[in-house]
Amino acid sequence: MRGFQPHDGGYQAVFEPYEAKILISLGEQLQQLLADGLGGNPAADEALHRVIPNAYRDDEEAAREWRELSRRGLIERKSAFAATMTTGLRAIADGDGPAPLSVTEGEAIDWMRAIGDLRLILADRLGILVDGDEGADDPPEAGDLYRWLAWIQDDLVRALDGGR
Amino acid sequence: MVMRDNGAMTAAPLPALDNQVVVTPQHAAEVPWRTVVWNDPVNLMSYVSWVFRRHFGLDEATAEQRMLQVHNDGRAILAEGNREQMERHVEAMHEYGLWASVERVER
Repeated sequence: MRGFQPHDGGYQAVFEPYEAKILISLGEQLQQLLADGLGGNPAADEALHRVIPNAYRDDEEAAREWRELSRRGLIERKSAFAATMTTGLRAIADGDGPAPLSVTEGEAIDWMRAIGDLRLILADRLGILVDGDEGADDPPEAGDLYRWLAWIQDDLVRALDGGR
Repeated sequence: MVMRDNGAMTAAPLPALDNQVVVTPQHAAEVPWRTVVWNDPVNLMSYVSWVFRRHFGLDEATAEQRMLQVHNDGRAILAEGNREQMERHVEAMHEYGLWASVERVER
């Protein structure tokens, strides 16, 4: 992968087909988890607690009301952020060599959000609970993915900040 | 929050900042509420700081100070105003994957 650079009013990065496939797979898993959470699956609900946190920490009644009003919309928007990422990568995944991906600023922000959500879920699986936790690296690929996604997110922040 | 391995935070002293928050105008009779962002072990410092600038329109120094407050104290107040406005901020923070909640301002 080559990081995001300003391009044509938006940004452009270069991905290998295998990188595109990994991100598509992760994005689709995230969408599935969000859909299951919306469907009331308790296991998915538990996995989503870091992605859709409690909006009222000291008022159970208000927290429940807020959930009823906002949860569906939030899940749908988060699913759309993941879709921006996976849709853009399809052609690269199907190609036979590294290829550029161009995104608008809005799409870049969708990417940041989808990658942030993936990191929250991976962190949960790795057992990262407090600052400084490295995670159990179990399975080892999960730790590598977690760090790679951090790199991409940091890269997007840099690009959106005008390459500082 | 976490730093990227090579994304060292600047060690330069921050300018003195008062406790300014984004204040939404409201009627005197309305009970004020606040938007609190909580520390988490996952989101990158660079990202949190960027979100604060982008969403709350904070300047760079203030955003950095708020981000460090979240990191060091476990939480920071990002806005005060009526409840509806605070819920909108919290929903936006959740879209960005940050842990935010609405709180009544104690009098």
